[in-house]
Amino acid sequence: MRYRALAILLLAALAAVARADEQAFTNRATELKERAAPDSATLASLPENSSVKVLARGGGWTRVEAGGKSGWVNVFHLRFPATVEASSSSSSGLASLGSALGFGAKTEQARLATTGIRGLSTEDVKNASPDPEALARMQSYRADRPAAERFAREAKLAEAHVEDPTAKGSAK
Amino acid sequence: MKKLVLACILALVVPGAEAIDFGSLVGKAIDTGRQLQEANHEFTRDEEIALGDGLAAGFLGAAPLRKDPELQRYVNRVGKWLALHSGRPDLPWTFGVVDTETVNAFAMPGGTVLITYGLVRRLSSESELAGALAHEIAHVVKKHQLQAIQSDRSSQAFADLGKGLASEAIARRGNDPVGLKSWGASAGVELLKNGVFLRPLDRSMEYEADKLGVVIAARSGYDPYGLVAVLEMLAQTKSDGSGLSVLDTHPAPADRLAELEPLMPAVEREVSKPQQLEARFRKVVAP
Repeated sequence: MRYRALAILLLAALAAVARADEQAFTNRATELKERAAPDSATLASLPENSSVKVLARGGGWTRVEAGGKSGWVNVFHLRFPATVEASSSSSSGLASLGSALGFGAKTEQARLATTGIRGLSTEDVKNASPDPEALARMQSYRADRPAAERFAREAKLAEAHVEDPTAKGSAK
Repeated sequence: MKKLVLACILALVVPGAEAIDFGSLVGKAIDTGRQLQEANHEFTRDEEIALGDGLAAGFLGAAPLRKDPELQRYVNRVGKWLALHSGRPDLPWTFGVVDTETVNAFAMPGGTVLITYGLVRRLSSESELAGALAHEIAHVVKKHQLQAIQSDRSSQAFADLGKGLASEAIARRGNDPVGLKSWGASAGVELLKNGVFLRPLDRSMEYEADKLGVVIAARSGYDPYGLVAVLEMLAQTKSDGSGLSVLDTHPAPADRLAELEPLMPAVEREVSKPQQLEARFRKVVAP
């Protein structure tokens, strides 16, 4: 059992590393901080569009490597390279038609390049036959209030009072 | 209206139908049908739930429920805990993971939320899952999907809703006397077939769901940056070209991040010891 827990932790650590090893750019002039806090020492000033390597994430800060130094950058001061190639919303009318008919070469290529598995299409949903048995099965997994509260206590999730910012004035 | 009358006449000639009190049933059904066609109709809780069940059953016909009871129960616990910190804690909240590579999540009126396994497997902690689910919970709380359905006057959807209710009402008896369940099923299928439900929501609704989602996650004790991390991940993800990817149906992740930025300092001030819970997430979702 201990080994299983250890293996899970190890896998989680590997996954964090794998996902964190990404390139990003600063979207404004910002500072590389020693710690993940605004009042921490500044290690370097980074101009807009500086290239950084993402090492880890934590709350509102992202650990990066920039110009040989590693430190923390405000999470909102980074942008990630756009990798979207072909989506149905941006493709030409002809490609959309092809996609709707199920043989859009560009779309198909994008699907394969991304996942290798065909995703769910708008047409799939439009043409589906309802599955009430699956609905009933899904509803059988519902959690009641005591189960949810127990689950929260196990992880020491601490409730906080936070105002709804969308409730005041306009609904925007 | 002609169709509605026809449906009533047809129902009247069905053998064995004389046992039903048609006067009140048909009258009630027609009244409800008329009300539903009005854009300012306030859906009752039961109507909302019936419609959501119909939509969910239709959706599950296209994307099967993932056969992983442990994962399904886990997502329901996270989701219910979040929903208890929303403005509508007492809806019959139901969460389901559907087996498709497409990256997205869908909220149905009445408290059903479907999230794709394609999205779940790209997340790395419980706080990120919470961020994604809380965004969908916010859509339900704000009734965004209902508003979108009602504002769609160009389609036949609303007339069909009324027609469906009238004809189903006559066909049903017993514990569902006005045929709400079968009405919900047919209306849900109709809204999927004519594509009304699959259309992107207004951008302002998405931004609102992001903001309220962050707040719901923070109230529940999660790291409020969970949704921010999800949006960063999405910024790097390619659309699968299906038309149903989150990148097809939502504003660009960079725009959503820019909208969230001003909110975060105030939220952060209110939370103490916010949790990310990577290890608990990894016990259920393999990397």
